Amino acid sequence: MQKKKKGFKELIFGKGDMDTVFFVILLVIITFGLVMLFSASFANAHYYKNDSLYFIKRQAGFAIIGVAAMLIISKIDYHLLHKLALPLYAVSLLLLVIVLFCPPSNGARRWIPYPINFQPSEIAKFAVILLFAHLISLEPEKMKTFKYGFLRFVLLLLPVVGLLLLEPHLSGTIIMLVIGCAMMFIGGTQLRWFGAVGGVGVLGLGAIVLSGKIEYAMSRLQGWIDPFSDVQGDTYQTVQSLIAIGSGGIFGKGLGNSRQKYLFLPEPQNDFVFAIICEELGLIGAIAVIVLFAVLIWRGLQISLKAPDKFGALLSAGLIIQIGVQVALNIAVVTNTLPNTGISLPFFSYGGTSLLMLMAQMGIVLSVSRHSKIKKA
Amino acid sequence: MGPNKMMRKRMVWAVCIITILCFGVVSVALFKEQVIDYEFYSMKAEAQQMSDTAITANRGTIYDCDMKVLAQSATVYNVVVSPADTTDEKKEIIASGLSEILGIERDVLESKLAKQNSYYELIQKKVDKATADKIRAFVSEKKITTIYLYEDSKRYYTYGNFASHILGFTGSDNQGLEGIESYYDSFMTGTPGRIISAKNALGNNMPYDYDQIYEPTDGYSLVLTLNEVIQHYLEKHLAVAVREHNIQNRAVGLVMDVNTGAVLGMATKSDYNPNDPFTIYNPTTEEAADMLSGQTETPTLAEAQQAQWRNKAISDVYEPGSVFKIVTASAALEEQVVSLSDGFTCNGHFTVSGTHFNCHDTAGHGNQTFLQAIANSCNPAFIMVGQRLGANKFYKYFNAFGLSRKTGIDLPGEAAPIYYKENQLGPVQLASVSFGQSSAITAIQMITAVSAAVNGGTLYQPYLVSKVLDNSGNVYESFEPKAIRQVISEESSELIAQALEETVLTGGGRNAYIKGYRIGGKSGTAEKLSGDKDARVASFVAVAPADDPQVAVLVILDEPKSYSSYGGTIAAPVVAGVLQDILPYVGIERQYSEEELQNLEVTVSNVIGKTPHAAQTTLNQYGLNSTIIGSGETVIKQVPSGGSTINRGGNVLLYTTEDTSSHMVTVPDLTGLTVSEANMRLLNAGLNIKIIAPANSGGAVAYKQSIEYGTEVVKGTVITVEFIDRSGTD
Repeated sequence: MQKKKKGFKELIFGKGDMDTVFFVILLVIITFGLVMLFSASFANAHYYKNDSLYFIKRQAGFAIIGVAAMLIISKIDYHLLHKLALPLYAVSLLLLVIVLFCPPSNGARRWIPYPINFQPSEIAKFAVILLFAHLISLEPEKMKTFKYGFLRFVLLLLPVVGLLLLEPHLSGTIIMLVIGCAMMFIGGTQLRWFGAVGGVGVLGLGAIVLSGKIEYAMSRLQGWIDPFSDVQGDTYQTVQSLIAIGSGGIFGKGLGNSRQKYLFLPEPQNDFVFAIICEELGLIGAIAVIVLFAVLIWRGLQISLKAPDKFGALLSAGLIIQIGVQVALNIAVVTNTLPNTGISLPFFSYGGTSLLMLMAQMGIVLSVSRHSKIKKA
Repeated sequence: MGPNKMMRKRMVWAVCIITILCFGVVSVALFKEQVIDYEFYSMKAEAQQMSDTAITANRGTIYDCDMKVLAQSATVYNVVVSPADTTDEKKEIIASGLSEILGIERDVLESKLAKQNSYYELIQKKVDKATADKIRAFVSEKKITTIYLYEDSKRYYTYGNFASHILGFTGSDNQGLEGIESYYDSFMTGTPGRIISAKNALGNNMPYDYDQIYEPTDGYSLVLTLNEVIQHYLEKHLAVAVREHNIQNRAVGLVMDVNTGAVLGMATKSDYNPNDPFTIYNPTTEEAADMLSGQTETPTLAEAQQAQWRNKAISDVYEPGSVFKIVTASAALEEQVVSLSDGFTCNGHFTVSGTHFNCHDTAGHGNQTFLQAIANSCNPAFIMVGQRLGANKFYKYFNAFGLSRKTGIDLPGEAAPIYYKENQLGPVQLASVSFGQSSAITAIQMITAVSAAVNGGTLYQPYLVSKVLDNSGNVYESFEPKAIRQVISEESSELIAQALEETVLTGGGRNAYIKGYRIGGKSGTAEKLSGDKDARVASFVAVAPADDPQVAVLVILDEPKSYSSYGGTIAAPVVAGVLQDILPYVGIERQYSEEELQNLEVTVSNVIGKTPHAAQTTLNQYGLNSTIIGSGETVIKQVPSGGSTINRGGNVLLYTTEDTSSHMVTVPDLTGLTVSEANMRLLNAGLNIKIIAPANSGGAVAYKQSIEYGTEVVKGTVITVEFIDRSGTD
């Protein structure tokens, strides 16, 4: 390697170029997210927090810290994460147990209030991606066997899924299952075992029924089929979301001109921020968001494909897929394509720890990109 | 070593499923919602985001003929609370504050405030401005943001129960429900305005200039023909009569301008207060009384409300009895089948085709002229007159006087008459209808027909609204008197007026006589077909002045339970009382005849301070006697005092000393005495008399005295004595 003059670029990005395309798309998404969060949140912030800037101030702060964290993490050699795989998995399980003893909100125990309010399921998702990437990359040849290619992953996934269902956290469970399956699929698990995964799905469903959460799930399903039938009930948020999306039309009401955010749509800064985007920017803005995410995912795919090793490839692919699944599920919920299960839109929804986690994970993707043979812009 | 081929392939697959399939599905969903169902969601959005507030249009005012306000609308406020965004702590404050200001039970308020999902809980409708101001003060003092005051409109009826059956009332949405309010509702309602503005989910306006304001158009106002003063007098006398004669089935009074058909007064007693029309003011049955103490909405309550709202003057038919003889006489005089001087013989009964008809005076009126027959209200004479007319002509005039159909007065709920048509008028039927039996008509029909009979013969359509004013006070529409037809000639009309005056002077209308006025009148007493056999409808109609009729007054007392149930005895004094009050008011002055002048009352001069003999001289000039008491130099007290009226020839006591104790006398009982007997007895007792008596008061007896017998009074005190003629039998 020949010695180069240490320029500004190297000062920021360190040795070995990271993928600036991925980085720039990410910055665009984050900025866009902040703008929309501000627009969506200020009425609520004004009425409930008596400070129009309440949410945006916090989110912007976390975003700045997040970018810094992302750049720092991108410089760390991701191979160090091999050592973290098993401990992090163990910690996740522990946190998922602890959360069950925390105070519930809206009938579910998903948040641990200390040291800062965070969801252990966010850590668990990363832990599963990391652990699976770690295990697959260690012995890729064993992936063809039932025991190593399938059974051990199922056994590792089951306690996580079980604990999530106890919260209960349906959307987290679904994402966990999708991510787990995606990792196994990419890692080389034989397709026929996925028939058995379907069985696990059925088992999971059985677990829902047996855990007495059937009523909880059913009430959500009823509201899904005809949200306008009982607008004052559980479906109020869905109905308000649909009204926001529908009344946005093709071109939207213009940035800042949402009316639904004036306390009609509850917590527009959280899971339903996309509805406000649809209302203000119309179908065009909504599709633009989707395209931005698609481009991000596509670029992430390039990084994975050109990764120097299987660990890096699996890690970045898992993280990228996680983003994609969350985006798809969030929009599906907001548009009532799926029942309302409580799932946030990455980089857009309000939530400091979640944003920080996401950006740290994107830092890992960027770290992989430094070693990736991708053509960097 | 990097990812192998299989791994790369599977990565691409996984990403493709997410980006193309999943993103595709949600994009399709977005397209459906934002493009295909755009209209649906836009409407939903608009419905909840735009507040469409109605601005109540002010309902038009109702004025009497002198532009006195009888009914008007004022801005009031509906008090609304939004419990959904009220904290529990504030709810406490609101519950105690509003229960105090509005006088609502605390637990009622608390149960409304407990509705956690509600953004709109109506606490009280239509509170007045003073109360609204108290709430505003309370709200700002306690820093409450979730109490709202919405403007509404409330109807106020200036004089309470006054003219309730004419005015009617309005419902909670300011819609006219009865009377004029109902009949002219479309004029008076106006067009409500709207404010369309953007709001947030709490109903507060959003910081946008979406507001569109459509101003309301106020309703048109009405000027009635009704005269507030006349109506008040009419109601006063009617209310007294209802109590005095224990009227079972309510009483009706009507005053009409005979030359236009304009209704100057129209009253039904008992009545109700249009400011609070749903309360039962005179429960007539025990059930009604029970129901009042019990539940609110029962069929009996609804029936009782309907009954008290019913305008008896137009919605109930009655048998006019002898008052109807005016119609028969008019027809007969116009057709010249009889003249006032024609002779008739009455021996107390008359038989037509085997049916026996009695006269009121079963002894018979003997030989009499037609004029006397009218004054005597002689049934046989009228049966004979009816026979001379024949069914065809009788029916022609019955029809021409407007008695066969509704008058078309501008009030809702006019009843149709019940009568024999021409082809149903056999000899027996003709005989009974000729003297006023067997036809049931409304009071408004009767007074309209009588007006036509005396006004020169023209039938007018009765009406109550003379002008409609637009919202800037300009005349939008003017209703002129509507002459329907000439029923009889002016000559015949004059004869009728003359006959009616004769009836008041010498016949069955004597109790309607008023000194100084020329009154024409006719009494009527009809048996009621329903109820017990003693039930009667007593009525009296009068026109004044008889030589140039201006106003007609009709009073109907339905089922009196009194010392008499004859119209000439109990209804005539009511009519006289009304006329006595209203004639000076409408500008008709008393003109005393020679005979009247002799019995005229004198206003006592104030002679205090004069020497006793100077005082006597002054009083002498007015035809008054006087007695000096004591030996003082000046008069320091006189009884009766200056300004009071006594009959000519009365005695004024002039005290020259302070001590009056030795000059006390006991008031004697005058009941049943004739005018001269009563006068004598009072003069003997050292008291003065003021006489209120019918025409030719020879047969009249005292029935009321202003100071009860047995009372100790100072000598010279004036006792007002009312006499009534009970010889009349219709």
